[in-house]
Amino acid sequence: MKENESSMIPLSRRNFLLRTGWIAGGVTVLTSCSSIIPPLPSLNDPTYEDAFSWIQMRADGHVVFYAPRMEMGQGTALGLCQIIAEELNLPQSAIDCISPNTDQAPPFKMTVGSEGIANYFEPISHCAASLREVLKERLRNSTQYNLLEIEDDMGGFSQPDGQIIPYADLLDDAPMVLTAETAATVGKNVKKWKKTGPKVIGESWKDPQLKAIVTGQQTYSRDVVIPGLHYGYIIHKPAFHAVLDTVDIGSAMDIKGIVAIVPSKENNFIGVVADNPYVLDEAVDAISVKWVYQDDPGDRVISDILDVERVRSTNSFEHEILSVGDLKTGLSSSFQSIEARYDTSFSAHAAMEPRAATAWVKEERVEVWSAGQDPFFTQKQVAGVVGRDVEDVIIYTHRLGGGFGGRVRCQASEEAAILSAATGHPVRVQWDRAAEFQNNYFQPAFSHYISAGVTENGKIAFWDHDFVSSPILTGSVPGYIAWIIDQIKADEGTARGSVSPYHMKNQRIRYSDIRTFVPVGAWRGLGAAPNGFAIESMMDELAVEADIDPLEFRLNNLSPSETKTRIVLETVAKMANWGGSMPDNIGRGISCAVYKGETAVAVVADIEVDHKSEKILVRRIWCAHDCGLIINPDQVAAQIEGNVVWGCNMALKEKMQFTDGTVEADNFDGFEILRHDEMPDIQISLIRSDAMPPTAVGEAAFAPVAPAITNAIFAASGRRLRKLPIMYEHLTTEN
Amino acid sequence: MLNINGKEIEVPANLREISLLIFLREFAGFTGTKYGCGAGLCGACMVHLDGEAITSCQYLVSDVMDHRITTIEGLADTTSTGDLHPLQKAWIEFSVPQCGYCQAGQIMTAAALLDKIPKPSLDDVRAGMAGNLCRCGTYKRIQKAILKASEEISDERK
Repeated sequence: MKENESSMIPLSRRNFLLRTGWIAGGVTVLTSCSSIIPPLPSLNDPTYEDAFSWIQMRADGHVVFYAPRMEMGQGTALGLCQIIAEELNLPQSAIDCISPNTDQAPPFKMTVGSEGIANYFEPISHCAASLREVLKERLRNSTQYNLLEIEDDMGGFSQPDGQIIPYADLLDDAPMVLTAETAATVGKNVKKWKKTGPKVIGESWKDPQLKAIVTGQQTYSRDVVIPGLHYGYIIHKPAFHAVLDTVDIGSAMDIKGIVAIVPSKENNFIGVVADNPYVLDEAVDAISVKWVYQDDPGDRVISDILDVERVRSTNSFEHEILSVGDLKTGLSSSFQSIEARYDTSFSAHAAMEPRAATAWVKEERVEVWSAGQDPFFTQKQVAGVVGRDVEDVIIYTHRLGGGFGGRVRCQASEEAAILSAATGHPVRVQWDRAAEFQNNYFQPAFSHYISAGVTENGKIAFWDHDFVSSPILTGSVPGYIAWIIDQIKADEGTARGSVSPYHMKNQRIRYSDIRTFVPVGAWRGLGAAPNGFAIESMMDELAVEADIDPLEFRLNNLSPSETKTRIVLETVAKMANWGGSMPDNIGRGISCAVYKGETAVAVVADIEVDHKSEKILVRRIWCAHDCGLIINPDQVAAQIEGNVVWGCNMALKEKMQFTDGTVEADNFDGFEILRHDEMPDIQISLIRSDAMPPTAVGEAAFAPVAPAITNAIFAASGRRLRKLPIMYEHLTTEN
Repeated sequence: MLNINGKEIEVPANLREISLLIFLREFAGFTGTKYGCGAGLCGACMVHLDGEAITSCQYLVSDVMDHRITTIEGLADTTSTGDLHPLQKAWIEFSVPQCGYCQAGQIMTAAALLDKIPKPSLDDVRAGMAGNLCRCGTYKRIQKAILKASEEISDERK
């Protein structure tokens, strides 16, 4: 895109404001919104001013909320509605929560990183409170009322005699919105939850979509039907390194209903378009494609590339994440010292909904019906592939059938747009399960090596931690740019959670970014879970080596500032009756982690080795969790439950392997995830830290689950298994 | 003819050899039934065939001609009041869904399970639901909701 951004942006902004009624509502000073107009890509954290464009009050006193987070089951939109309701004293029925299309809100950051509540709480509560205060001011200035004292009340304000003046009485016909100018004077008057104690915050509101979901009425991207819809199938490259050479379409065009075959060297695929969804398979069978294989990975084995010991042998790590004290001094002060290697596997997102999108490229504009974690990135990508201005493209957003980091990219939207542009028809492209497994990016494998020692009084004497993996945040950056990036800075996504909450006088953490032929990208928690697994496994090994109870050892070594971590550890120990007597067949493990330096989580796991069914079964999980102020306890619990399942999967199930640039498993028989009959019982304790701001939830409880399980496996079997996933047979053989 | 949710639907001759799932979604417009794996491995496409839970991606339309199919859209209508099915109510009560994509299949399997075992134990539920995957990890709530619904149903019958 070569357009002059500075001249394009104000136009785009004005169009958006006109379309959505902001200008009619009194927004005239467009420059006040400059911070909300895109930098590319949509990576900016929200500001107070951004929130003014998400919240408007209709003439009837209802709030229309364009939720700036895409919903994939994490419940963020619901929590943000509660924050608005808290400030404006509104019931849930008075808030219309809308998943905005790209013409209904200025670009906002992609929905990632468990930030939905943590980073949006402040701007949204500030905006809602400002709205309330502006209305209060209107009331004070109104000649209709002569009020000395007015109080906030449900849906409006009350007079001392109890008479309620609803917001609707203070509103014009046009929707009311704030600008930086109108809100600034009341900005300091934010009530928040501190003054009077929260009312709505802390309640477990229910997602208004629940009824639609349980009755089959919820529309996902695959369910979109529009008049004249055509159906597209994409023949993707069969391997990461395959390049389209020649296509023989055979008799495919003779099949009744087939409208076009669209081979695209530029996009490295062949598209098939039909006027009905029933003949695509037959056409695909009729087409033969020759692929050439460039940069063949050959017999390179990924485990040889992502091998921490190989890099250690050269003693040359790209990045030193942390270095304090002196390792040699630490070693000499050690009473016991050990070293061990820990490895985790590649994995896939495996969302239950394989991606789909419908696009209609028309002369006047391009419409796309899709579901992704970043609709504004989708908008830009679609504009790029069909050669249109970004503002000609509108993305209609839908609830995602699972995201987990895997829907930042928008391949199906781009493909549908290409096929629509080629045929002039609206086209829906939907991936099948094999396409979903093969054609997205993956969680990279991690390889860790930790040497550590304990002093005679049970303190960590030194901690020497090396690891290698692939850069996650810059995973899609090509070629030499990637090389430069890797030299400059350790990938913050891959390194997430590599610094532990423990006090270590002598410590070094080194890391190397290593790119392989496998595409990698965001996956739940990024580095948090693999790094947490290595740290919490070594903590357990040290405790055993020093003959100290693993809980006591952790408490004894926490950094003095880790009050929250101390509390969750003590809480989870109490819940599980840590140290109490155990049945012979059960092993118990403990673990903790701090997500993004803010959310503290501790987990106890009970596992059973069932020799009859030859399975390792997670029987019970206890979790204590401190995420600051809790907006919706039930939604927090739901996210913890999800993380527990992900932790079980990481410990015992998930492993993606590749042969010749192709996934070895392209369905749920080869890539297995936890099933109903393997589900542990889960007990959760949410620590009440209402005076603290809300912190991340969606990925926070993931990291400590797998090490709690593997530590429990050690307790049950005496086998210390350091490579995930662990299968029953690994109890007697190497894994 | 196919009886879907109580309505007779004529099957065009050229659609007899397509999968029941595609027929339901693309021809009959019952998009509540979801595609998840296309191989009978995940349970997202569960419907009832004469009251039995089946993975609709594994059946051709010709396999089920003249039989009775119930999808998630028709489940509520099978209750005497036309109200939500007790399972759907329990699903809402416990806020079971996260992304929600697999839940229609979960509910259809659970409904057939409760028809067979009206008062299941937790182990019955875990075993009976093992064919339905949920990537968000809502299993605990699903199991709880099924047990709750089974109580509701037996209370209704009293």
